[in-house]
Amino acid sequence: MNVVVVGAGLAGLTAATELVARGAEVTVLEARERVGGRTHGLEVEPGGWVDAGAAYLGERHTALTALLAELDLKTTPATVAGASRFALRDAGATRPGRFPPLSAVALGEMFDALEEVTRLVRPDAPWLTEDAARLDGLTAERWAAERLRHPDARLFFSLFLGEMMAADPARVSVLHMAFYLRSGGGIRYLNAFEGGAQEWRIAGGAHQVCERLAAALGDRVRLGEPVLELHQDAGGVTATTPRGRVRGTHAVVAVPPVLADAIDLRPGPPAPRSTPATGPGCAVKVHLVYPSPLWRELGLSGWSVSAEGPLLSTVDDSPAGERAGVLTGFVTGAEARRYAALPAPEQRGLAVAQAARLFPELPPPIAFHLTDWVGEPYSRGCYAALFGPGDWPRLGPGLTAPHGRVHWAGTETSTEFFGLMEGAIRSGHRVAAEITWRETP
Amino acid sequence: MNVDAVSAVFREVLEIPEVTADSDFFVMGGDSLLATRVLSAVARATGVELEFDDLLDAPTPNALSKKIAEAA
Ligand SMILES: Cc1cc2nc3c(=O)[nH]c(=O)nc-3n(C[C@H](O)[C@H](O)[C@H](O)COP(=O)(O)OP(=O)(O)OC[C@H]3O[C@@H](n4cnc5c(N)ncnc54)[C@H](O)[C@@H]3O)c2cc1C
Repeated sequence: MNVVVVGAGLAGLTAATELVARGAEVTVLEARERVGGRTHGLEVEPGGWVDAGAAYLGERHTALTALLAELDLKTTPATVAGASRFALRDAGATRPGRFPPLSAVALGEMFDALEEVTRLVRPDAPWLTEDAARLDGLTAERWAAERLRHPDARLFFSLFLGEMMAADPARVSVLHMAFYLRSGGGIRYLNAFEGGAQEWRIAGGAHQVCERLAAALGDRVRLGEPVLELHQDAGGVTATTPRGRVRGTHAVVAVPPVLADAIDLRPGPPAPRSTPATGPGCAVKVHLVYPSPLWRELGLSGWSVSAEGPLLSTVDDSPAGERAGVLTGFVTGAEARRYAALPAPEQRGLAVAQAARLFPELPPPIAFHLTDWVGEPYSRGCYAALFGPGDWPRLGPGLTAPHGRVHWAGTETSTEFFGLMEGAIRSGHRVAAEITWRETP
Repeated sequence: MNVDAVSAVFREVLEIPEVTADSDFFVMGGDSLLATRVLSAVARATGVELEFDDLLDAPTPNALSKKIAEAA
């Protein structure tokens, strides 16, 4: 068995590691000059790392927590006690805890409606959901306009979808929204910090997972080698990169769906991995660095939520045990697309000015970092691809079906924890088992 | 809304059967998101629109039922 793995993100590297453990020869071809894909670390002070990509996890993420234990990586709690700042309807408000100054009853109605639609969906095969056609034909925006009466509910709904899925409600189907929320453990689990999907961060940064996996794989991992073509014949698969060809008995394509479709596959697959309706999740992460987490001394958690961008929310992501204080700002959905198009000085100016309005007691940040996932040619969508109207019925049935010797992985192929690190790792395990099983006499 | 009706709402939202008149919503696993769903159920049943802080203040079916009666 000799497997060519395309993509050195969590999915590709998990698959490669497991295949090697089962005795396969493996070559991992990675387009970028680094491993990690949608996990990426930034060093904001010597030894102090923050996550420019994926960051949070919870205890239901069992494949990830098992992997962390194997790699000897630790987690650190993501929650910070203290009051929050809100700029929603009124200019600014400080509130104990995280509850926004909006009508609780209106938010309850919104969550009731979301809970109802989330329960309807069939999580292992969303396209087979009863009523799938109706839910698939409806955008989340239209659904919200029909279902949510109170302006507070509408305002919060779009912030919620931005935070959870980096989605613009106008571009995602209700079926996909409901599936995504269900796949991640339900609205309550996904929304919660303590006891939920944001319980911890990985101490020292999530990028270390891929770095450690790649270090153990050694020179099996080749950087700077985007796979342009995958041609299969009776005997195997040939991957072509700008540097040459690699031959294998099987291939694993562990890249986001739109990028999988960009590879010239011969013979062509029976169905595409994406359609024109498949949208990119849109997220820009900014990091504002302070000499220390100064807000904590003021009884603030660093958490804020704003109706106006660019920083729709901020959270304290200060590296554990280091000096620096870091506020991460999330720019998501339609706002991310707008913001990503601005010139760099303006991006910085807007973010810094908004932080100053939210937290007037803080000095200006000593450093500013911006990671634009919207414009990343080898991600094209973050946190994950968003299936638009029509996509699930077309793409769902072929999500994991091998195309001859070509197998598919990546978080977008996992109906469990779709779009998350956990989904990526589970897809890597699934694909490694698929190939080994095939090869077992 | 009497104590039993409020307990029933707690049970449904928390998805646990063991709720008594003196069960504290937040101790039983309630968080702010689930709290809003209790308040929307109360509003549907009674027309009374409480705030999040009201539930923090009166986190048991007993106490919340009194609060609803006062506000009605
Ligand atoms: C800002 C942001 C925040 C997020 N927050 C969280 C979070 O808090 N918790 C969580 O669990 N998840 C989060 N996610 C999602 C998480 O990062 C992803 O689900 C996960 O990392 C996807 O892993 P993957 O291996 O499926 O894909 P990727 O990480 O995208 O890996 C694919 C790899 O393939 C490479 N590649 C692409 N095309 C080619 C080609 N033609 N040839 C060779 N190589 C190619 C890419 O460079 C990349 O390295 C977040 C993502 C972002 C961007």
